[in-house]
Amino acid sequence: MATNTKDDTKAWMGARLERKEDLRLITGQGRYLGDVVLPGMLYAVFVRSEYAHAKIVSIDASEALALPGVVAVYKGEDLMGKVKSMRQPVLLPNLPAKFPEYWALAVGTAKFHGEPVAVVVARDKYVAVDAAELVAVEYEELPVVIDPEAALADGSTLVHPDSGTNEIFGMTFTGGATEEEQKKNEAEVEAIFAGADVVVKHRFRVHRTGVTPMEPRGCLCDWSDADGLTAWITTQRPHIDRLGLADILEIPAQQVRVIAPRDQGGGFGVKAPFFRENVVVAFAARELGRPVRWVESRYESLMNVGQERDQINVCEVAASKDGKLLALRNRGIADNGTGQTGVYWGFVMPFLGAVEMPNGYTWGKGDIKLRVATTNKACLTPSRAFGHFPTRFAVERSIDMVAHRLGMEPSDLRRKNIVPQLPYTSVTGEYYDSGNFLKVWDNLMTHIDLPAFRREQAAARAQGRYLGIGFACGVELSGVASELLVPMENQPGYGAASVRLDPRGKVHVYGGDAPGGQGHETTVAQVVAATFGIAPTDTVVTTGDTGTTPFGAGTIGARAGSYFVSAVHKACQELKKKITRILAHDLALEAEEEDFEFANGQVTLIRDRSQTKTFREIVERIIMAPVNLPEGEVGGLDATAFFEALKPMICFNADFCVVEVNADSGEFKILRWVSSEDVGNVINPMIVDGQMHGAIVQGLSNAMFEQFIYDERGQQLTADFERYKLATAADVPDLQITYASTPCPHTPLGTRGIGEGRPSSVSGALSNAVCDALAPFGIEITELPLRPDAVWRQIQAAKAAR
Amino acid sequence: MKTINVTINGTRYEETVPVRMLLVDFIRERLALTGTHVGCTYEGVCGACTIHLDGEAVKSCMLLAVQADGHEITTVEGLAKGGELSALQRAFRQHHGLQCGFCTPGILMNMTEFLVHNPTPTDDEIRQGLIGNLCRCTGYVHIVTSVRAAADELARTGGA
Amino acid sequence: MYPAKIDDYSRPATIAEAVAALASFGVGEAMCIAGGMSLMQAIKSRLVRPACLVDLQDVAELRGIRGSGGALSIGAMTRYVEIAGHAPFASGPFAALRDAASHVGDRQVRNRGTIGGSLCWNYMAACLPAAVLALGATLRLVGPGGERTIAIDDFLIGPLETARGEQEVLVSIDWKSAPARSGSAYKKWGLVKDALPVVGVAALVTLEANGACSAARLALAGLTAGAQRVPAGEAALLGSKGDAASLDRALEAVCANVDLHSDHWADAAYRGQLVRQLGRDVLTSAFARAKN
Repeated sequence: MATNTKDDTKAWMGARLERKEDLRLITGQGRYLGDVVLPGMLYAVFVRSEYAHAKIVSIDASEALALPGVVAVYKGEDLMGKVKSMRQPVLLPNLPAKFPEYWALAVGTAKFHGEPVAVVVARDKYVAVDAAELVAVEYEELPVVIDPEAALADGSTLVHPDSGTNEIFGMTFTGGATEEEQKKNEAEVEAIFAGADVVVKHRFRVHRTGVTPMEPRGCLCDWSDADGLTAWITTQRPHIDRLGLADILEIPAQQVRVIAPRDQGGGFGVKAPFFRENVVVAFAARELGRPVRWVESRYESLMNVGQERDQINVCEVAASKDGKLLALRNRGIADNGTGQTGVYWGFVMPFLGAVEMPNGYTWGKGDIKLRVATTNKACLTPSRAFGHFPTRFAVERSIDMVAHRLGMEPSDLRRKNIVPQLPYTSVTGEYYDSGNFLKVWDNLMTHIDLPAFRREQAAARAQGRYLGIGFACGVELSGVASELLVPMENQPGYGAASVRLDPRGKVHVYGGDAPGGQGHETTVAQVVAATFGIAPTDTVVTTGDTGTTPFGAGTIGARAGSYFVSAVHKACQELKKKITRILAHDLALEAEEEDFEFANGQVTLIRDRSQTKTFREIVERIIMAPVNLPEGEVGGLDATAFFEALKPMICFNADFCVVEVNADSGEFKILRWVSSEDVGNVINPMIVDGQMHGAIVQGLSNAMFEQFIYDERGQQLTADFERYKLATAADVPDLQITYASTPCPHTPLGTRGIGEGRPSSVSGALSNAVCDALAPFGIEITELPLRPDAVWRQIQAAKAAR
Repeated sequence: MKTINVTINGTRYEETVPVRMLLVDFIRERLALTGTHVGCTYEGVCGACTIHLDGEAVKSCMLLAVQADGHEITTVEGLAKGGELSALQRAFRQHHGLQCGFCTPGILMNMTEFLVHNPTPTDDEIRQGLIGNLCRCTGYVHIVTSVRAAADELARTGGA
Repeated sequence: MYPAKIDDYSRPATIAEAVAALASFGVGEAMCIAGGMSLMQAIKSRLVRPACLVDLQDVAELRGIRGSGGALSIGAMTRYVEIAGHAPFASGPFAALRDAASHVGDRQVRNRGTIGGSLCWNYMAACLPAAVLALGATLRLVGPGGERTIAIDDFLIGPLETARGEQEVLVSIDWKSAPARSGSAYKKWGLVKDALPVVGVAALVTLEANGACSAARLALAGLTAGAQRVPAGEAALLGSKGDAASLDRALEAVCANVDLHSDHWADAAYRGQLVRQLGRDVLTSAFARAKN
């Protein structure tokens, strides 16, 4: 706590301040969704489809209803006429796609293993599970489509027959808006490939994996005929949930309040979509006039959400013999699952993955297309490194393959092609606003003596030990500008914050986003403290309650350090101006805001430091004694500000890792992991470090361990932590995070949003290192997960081919 | 139904529970000690529900409440004594050993006992000791730092 | 996620009470619960739905490691943490027990899980059944008809199947004497550290004065047959002095005589590779421990 009382309040920006969140969390006083209890609360348990694709012939709930303690059982038909379908305009991206119609509970047909077909509501949660077992659902199995390429073939079984196709979305990302321009671009790119010194082309397969917050989903709905719906939801975007629930349940919007609990056990994108289960629970609460809670089990969670990546990218790179990257061509296919998830519908992730594919390199030209196929699997849900984990893998691996062909160091080839000057617009039209990529790269390279490593590698090889080094980089979004978010998710990108001062000189900040561990309460308090010259302990932050907070698009896409914090700062500046106007008036001075210093709880005239008041005095005066004010001024200190940068913004990172591969077993060990980051100006370095650690290890865990597996009948085989393996502490290395930051010129504090896209470069660096180690075998990895058995098989094949 | 006697964080409780009630539900729902969390279904892998049963770290989702009859339990709410955070709690705060905090109570309970048995652990031993606790936010780096810092602090001060 | 209804629960204090408690329920109704680390998974997922649980935690006679004059008896309720910390198991003929117990699951699991529970559940990938099988123990059971002993080879029938009668209690895992100049080891491989193994290998070797192997027991975990001995591999070890070539020959014999299946963790070929790789480490270690 010592750091909280230091005098130098200007230094709050950049301070390693202990988090305000932590005291409650380390003493068991956090309040997560599962901790919220209302009198008379009932428990909901879903009955989920046992088949990947089946006609629901009948649902007989009589035995379940006969069980003492069971209050109700609802099936899809029970919702019809009382709630609207899930395909409502507020939840639709402004992208041309074949959005499937579906209902909160399956009606007629179940389309993936785990789809909710009924819900049981009971007074006791154990009884609810007993009753769910007794709901007799008669299914008639239908043919399934599991493979995305097969799904796109003529004559395939259709997941949504009304769509007439399994191609939910397709797009060309290069060349221009018209088909004519795109065709011309294709021809130009083809000409480059035809004349290039080196061309590499591979089919890259990245498996279905994603993120799994330690707290699964859940919601608690309370209904009152007078006031409408209050819903506590584990969510990253309560304001969108509110609109979706209002529209689907046809409740006037002013009668819907959504509260994201202050403490949420991680989100990482999984809690960003609009989910059907919440509609069902709200419906049940309204029908029964009782609060109803659903807390998702891990089994349900692994069956339904957190599944992402899952793309095939046939990626081609053309390069000159001196190592200049001339063109990038990609034909992507994504396995969307059913597409039954509001806001994203699955395909929005691969859409952004294609946009972000060029990464931080100056491709002369690009020809990038994507097709997204619906299958009888759970719909893709956003997962940190949204959509571009697979495309980054393809690009970063391809670059190494070019280097191998040219006999160049992969790091040299990268440096030669890294975007040298910003701003820059990528071949897919993505705008990179600011930063210095080469500075980041050169900083990374100071942490490895590459010639010495090559000598060490050669010496080790002579002893039968295989060391390797791998590199990769990542351009990531720093917040999502309206320019991108309006088409992509039908939502605004701006950050919004209300800052309210109270007569005691304390500050309450309200934000409409809904964090899940990122430390908003601390970073916002640091920004407020630095602005007003008060202690961070004087600020309280409320997030996620639509009843009290301004509209926010949610805790997504690294919005906190970019948009939210900037809005907070803007609101504080407005209040600061008002304070100084009135203070100057009270002191009978001609003075502007910049003539005053806010520090150590005092507001002081810089040119005459005897002219000073405590922050509390002047704030109390303006709120409580609004008399003798300047002409036209009224009392009160409360401001809401919206922040939107003129252009989209980015952050940047580069990684290398050193591995040792056991060529007998295919096992590999990460000996070093070093990153170099441009995160802009830092508010709390400890929190920024933590974001990088978590992101990199998520990337490693995705790349090495985690995999959702469906069998040929579409049965999901990996719905528990014995089968869906997360990295434990003993499975991952220590990490060395270094910084080479450039302040962002487009945010008031020079900060960047960080952490969301960060896992994306990990699989490239790791697999490049393994390939580098195994260079004597000529192995090129094109598939994830990267596991010892796969490496071993490649070594065996290479040995056999000799 | 069975009547059980358990002492939790120094308070004795006599409660009648269904045989099938999980200990974690007894702690969270019957006694409203919600610091102990549930992160998996039946597999008992995530470790967020870790408590001390007679001083040993165990997963409370893998026990029935009736099995705890006659035993002494400590939950995360009982780690701080007289309002004083334990060295481990302080270290987690100082070194940003948590983000969302959902796994944290289980980690604190496991590592508190771990440090009793191994007061001077290496980083590798800390990582091995953490296998029963999954964390999704931190990449474990600051968790290891925090545990090591707590060990150093305990060695310096010679106790809690 | 939550257990199905359980009607009754009893907590006997003696073996006799435990046997009586089991007998007081109808066939197929009662189950013993030891540490519960496997059983509770099955109960919570409703794979099993016992009407009654007989909790063995208070039966003091079932706990502890007792040795005298080379004989060893491990109480069925002895926990992994106790076996992992048992100093005499650091080397010699029983070291495989410590190797196995110290990497079962995680700290919390080792604080609860018991050797007897693991043997009676006999999960196909469990570590202790394979380790005990390699060490050739005799198991002591008590039931309504009294006490009996059975060799571990006969006790372990197949995955999730043992020769324990439903109303019997496993009392202890016993060895009449510790074979001289013998060493054992166990090692496993899983995708993440200390997980249920994809393959586990346990071995016990007894050496002649000249260092040549005069007897060997070799057992695997993780294959479809569950814990299983591989006599062909054992035979191939006879006469070996622990050199790499002879170990590799024995392990080839092992691979040729077991069903190496493919699943999502490893295909058959990689399972074979794991058997060879783990086997080399385990046998090398067992030979070294036999010499100490």
